[in-house]
Amino acid sequence: MVPIGVTCVVGTMLVVGWGAQPQRFVRGYAPAQPIPFSHKVHAGANRIPCEYCHTNPERSRDASVPAVQTCMNCHRAITMADSNYIKQNVIARLASDTALAWKRIYDLPDHVYFDHRAHVNVGLQCQVCHGEVQTMDVVSRVMNTRMGECLICHRDPRPYLPAGSAVTQGPTECTACHR
Amino acid sequence: MDRRPEFVTDPVTPPTEREPVSRRRFLSLVGASAALAATAACVPADSDTIVAYTKKPDDVVPGVANYYASTYQEGLEAYGVLVKAREGRPIHIDGNDEHPVYRGKTSLRAQAETIGLYDPERLRAPRVAGKASSWKAADARVVPALKAAAAGGKPVLLLTAAAISPSRRAVIADLKRAVPGLQHVAWEPAVSASERTARQALYGDAAAPRAYVDRATVILAFDADFMGGMEGAVPAIAGFAEHRQPTRPGQPMSRLYALESRLSLTGSKADTRVPLRPSAAAPVAFALANALHARHAVPLPAGLDASVLAPFTLSGVARQYALDGAVLSALADDLAGAARSALVLAGPSLPVEAHAAAALLNTMLDAEGHTLDAAYAADAAPLTTPAEMAAITRDLGAGKYAAAIFWEANPSYAVADGAGFGAAMAHAPLTVRMGLHDDETASRCDVVLPVNHWLESWNDFEPSADLLAVQQPLIRPLYDTRQGEEILLGWARALGAPVEADYRTYLMARWQREVYPKGAPVTFDRYWTAAVHDGALRRDAKPRAARVLRGDAVAAAARTAAAAKPGAGLELLLAPDVRLWDGRYGNNGWLQELPEPVTKVCWGNNLAMSSADAAALGVTDGDLVSVSAGGREVKLPVLVQPGQAPGAVFAALGFGRVGGVSGGRGANTFALAADDGSAPFHRAEVKVRRAGGREPLVRTQTEFGLHGRELTALWTLEEYGKKAGPPAGSKPLPTLNDPLEWPDHKWAMTIDLSTCVGCGGCEIACQSENNVPVVGPEQVGRGRTMHWIRGDVYYVGDGENPRVAHQPMLCQQCDDAPCEPVCPVAATQHSADGLNEQIYNRCIGVRYCAANCPYMVRRFNFFDYTSTITDPLDLAFNPEVTVRPRGVMEKCTFCVQRIRNGVQIAKDEGRALRDGEIQPACAAACPANAIVFGDITDRTSRVARAAQSDRGFKVLEDLGVRPAITYLAELRNPAAPKTGGIHD
Repeated sequence: MVPIGVTCVVGTMLVVGWGAQPQRFVRGYAPAQPIPFSHKVHAGANRIPCEYCHTNPERSRDASVPAVQTCMNCHRAITMADSNYIKQNVIARLASDTALAWKRIYDLPDHVYFDHRAHVNVGLQCQVCHGEVQTMDVVSRVMNTRMGECLICHRDPRPYLPAGSAVTQGPTECTACHR
Repeated sequence: MDRRPEFVTDPVTPPTEREPVSRRRFLSLVGASAALAATAACVPADSDTIVAYTKKPDDVVPGVANYYASTYQEGLEAYGVLVKAREGRPIHIDGNDEHPVYRGKTSLRAQAETIGLYDPERLRAPRVAGKASSWKAADARVVPALKAAAAGGKPVLLLTAAAISPSRRAVIADLKRAVPGLQHVAWEPAVSASERTARQALYGDAAAPRAYVDRATVILAFDADFMGGMEGAVPAIAGFAEHRQPTRPGQPMSRLYALESRLSLTGSKADTRVPLRPSAAAPVAFALANALHARHAVPLPAGLDASVLAPFTLSGVARQYALDGAVLSALADDLAGAARSALVLAGPSLPVEAHAAAALLNTMLDAEGHTLDAAYAADAAPLTTPAEMAAITRDLGAGKYAAAIFWEANPSYAVADGAGFGAAMAHAPLTVRMGLHDDETASRCDVVLPVNHWLESWNDFEPSADLLAVQQPLIRPLYDTRQGEEILLGWARALGAPVEADYRTYLMARWQREVYPKGAPVTFDRYWTAAVHDGALRRDAKPRAARVLRGDAVAAAARTAAAAKPGAGLELLLAPDVRLWDGRYGNNGWLQELPEPVTKVCWGNNLAMSSADAAALGVTDGDLVSVSAGGREVKLPVLVQPGQAPGAVFAALGFGRVGGVSGGRGANTFALAADDGSAPFHRAEVKVRRAGGREPLVRTQTEFGLHGRELTALWTLEEYGKKAGPPAGSKPLPTLNDPLEWPDHKWAMTIDLSTCVGCGGCEIACQSENNVPVVGPEQVGRGRTMHWIRGDVYYVGDGENPRVAHQPMLCQQCDDAPCEPVCPVAATQHSADGLNEQIYNRCIGVRYCAANCPYMVRRFNFFDYTSTITDPLDLAFNPEVTVRPRGVMEKCTFCVQRIRNGVQIAKDEGRALRDGEIQPACAAACPANAIVFGDITDRTSRVARAAQSDRGFKVLEDLGVRPAITYLAELRNPAAPKTGGIHD
């Protein structure tokens, strides 16, 4: 007869352990965004380069989410089937200076200082980490953000880099990302 | 000297919760929270959002800092600063590197102003009759009163800080045209009246000359803390450093004599320091002048007869004040030898006679126009004297004013009779406060108007005749505040004056009219934009005619000094504190917690006295005494201070503010200032008696002796030849570890102790850059200061008048760091570029690393010190550095965030890293440039060359930990008195 205490402990461990499997939750997170913006239409069908809107991955840690104003660069001229859509979601916001609060897909802990520059400027494609965003109507997370996942590439980045890249290793010291 | 007990009785009760926590409860809480945390970590965060701009400002790139030049006024000084802003919020302040005077450096008080901006206790909206109100209602209260005063011809008092801004002066003049009875009074409580009074009498003009310490080879300072609390300290430290770093034995070095009553920061760097009571400064200086005239045949200025100086002889003053005559004699010879390269400074707090004697010495030595230059001095800004303030207090109490407006100046705190002033305010029909805080004056005013912080303001300043400085806002006003000038313009408009409503428009219009040169090759817009961009604008100005010293005024001062009778009791000297200055920084935690550079006391002031006086009074460190002068009494704890002149006591001004972070610590010593006579901060005789009770001093260092250990190196210039050796670390101890290799970079630092004056600027810069928390007096008292860089002070030699060695101590980034192998969770590691890394999220807080660190530079978060940082103070955080939680070890990182960013930028630009491109916050802030940082594998780098110095040494080198920091031995160049005694 197994004592009831042991059963509790073992049971709890099994349940919590199964529940906490990283892969189970971290991938496929695709929250509804404040406006139904489709990357598939913009980056896919219309082939707008990522850096047209996310302007700063080459010169800042943050790739940056575009200002609402950026939409109007094209939508000043391009109308949609639903002509009210841009009026309500973009022009009205600009007029009232109401910001868009996007749901963060990749939320790194506060002690992680990820730098887009270091990754983009060695020729890494956005899709390596962010997935085939140009095929997604609703963006979902494709990579888990545990440190081990970063280190796979930092230890041997060659499979992910363009052919002929001179980079053979990423930094693996702590202060590369933690400071 | 009281030592800290080795074991504290209750190390775990947080200062905020007084009830004890039982082990059971602690474990249950930890268990519960761990379970919660584990659960929370498994759920995808659905809480975080990215709020994008609607319209992005053109010059903002999220994640990249912008830098803007601006100017910060403090008293009569206008600091040129460069403010770092991230996503539109200012987070760090350095000196403006394009400013001709400050050259990239600024005062530690200016650096601490980021948290002044985000101070949660700032006034946020107007208040009328004690109730939150609106600007409209406030104006409705003030404007009719001004109108009635203008019609009835009754005077209106406008009390401000010094008006060194030409545009501000113009605004006040505009308001005065609308309200003819307006009486503008500028009050700077920390600016001593005696120096200005003396200049007025001696030269017929109170305009302040600039002291060029960089041109001086012999400097004589009478109670002049010119590298500490005095105006112009930042360029003075830089200038002093220029002649303090010989690169080989035999090279010349300047010599600093400090004859002073208290052991000041300047005195702590002196080559020869003589404790001297303040009243002796004038006789000694006149005796030196007499010796120069008699012995070296230096002519006296016209109007001064040698007979006037006859009562003052070196042997006479040596006898009277128990001084070493041979030292005075050597000093006279040195001054004569240096001639126009000599510089004599009298402390602002000293009486008029001392200033006259110093001016006489400077004139005799021909230093005027060389080490002291008034050619481009700005016209002396009108300031009221303490005696005039006392008269204003009487007028106010008699109901003379129809209204009284207090802008910036805080008279019910910072005048001798603050309480009397507060009471007198009740007799004005309308009192208006324009200020940042609900302070001593605001709490007594009918109308309280919140003003913009200077980081939210436009302005211009005229620090000298050939320079105009511009202040630009870094951020929109955080609250419903207005800039002071704009409030005045609003009233002037309401009274019918044709002025601009907006101060920026007013400023630009005035510049276009009066500053923009006729026939300039650029448009005004470009001219203005360039001035705003640079922060300072050089202008053509005609030099003033050389000042002529009035011999008769000197003679009058000499006669007064000769007739003065030495008092029997204790003499008191007051001076603005190097951190809190006139008290305006009372609510700034960084400055409250920064230890005073020499005594290492923080969170409060004290009465410094010599051990002889303390013994006579039967008191010791922390005993409360009551000091009375001029019918007022102040209670202060005693500090028995080596180096303090017997017979003289010293107290710092600026403490004892009501409310705020100071928590009632410190006492308002303005009450001891004189409001009659010309020297408010010198009292020839005060009564000091035991008050009973204790208020233990809060100190970051309690042991100042070296106890025979060679922790630092303090050599005389003579010893330099003998002690100079091979570069530090050139003969490493044997080790079993693998030899270290540095494939890319190896970061290293040198600190030149010869030029470091120990001012503490690096500590504030580090605190601002690295989100270092303030822990409060109780925690500091338990030795839990969090400063990553600590200014160690050692008293060497003579116990009564020690030599002081300053040594900034920070993580030494050891190659064989003893902290690393003892960490059970590998939270401290070594990087490939020689950094000792501390990883907060791995740290479990066993503190073994701190115990194993021979330099005691690791800091532990005993409590959640950052949880008290509430909105909007959290905006001051540097977003590039983790905010550490409770239970985590931290320490200096060599500003790794700056290193990684600099390396990344160089890599992105496809070039090698330039030497000096990466500067840790401490090195960037050091006014003496004593801290040099760089890549030591680059043999041409400044740090590699400095590390080769024959003065170099590593602290505790014999432990074999191979620190990355090389200290350069401090050199002193003391006077070499000739044997054979003294002759006049």
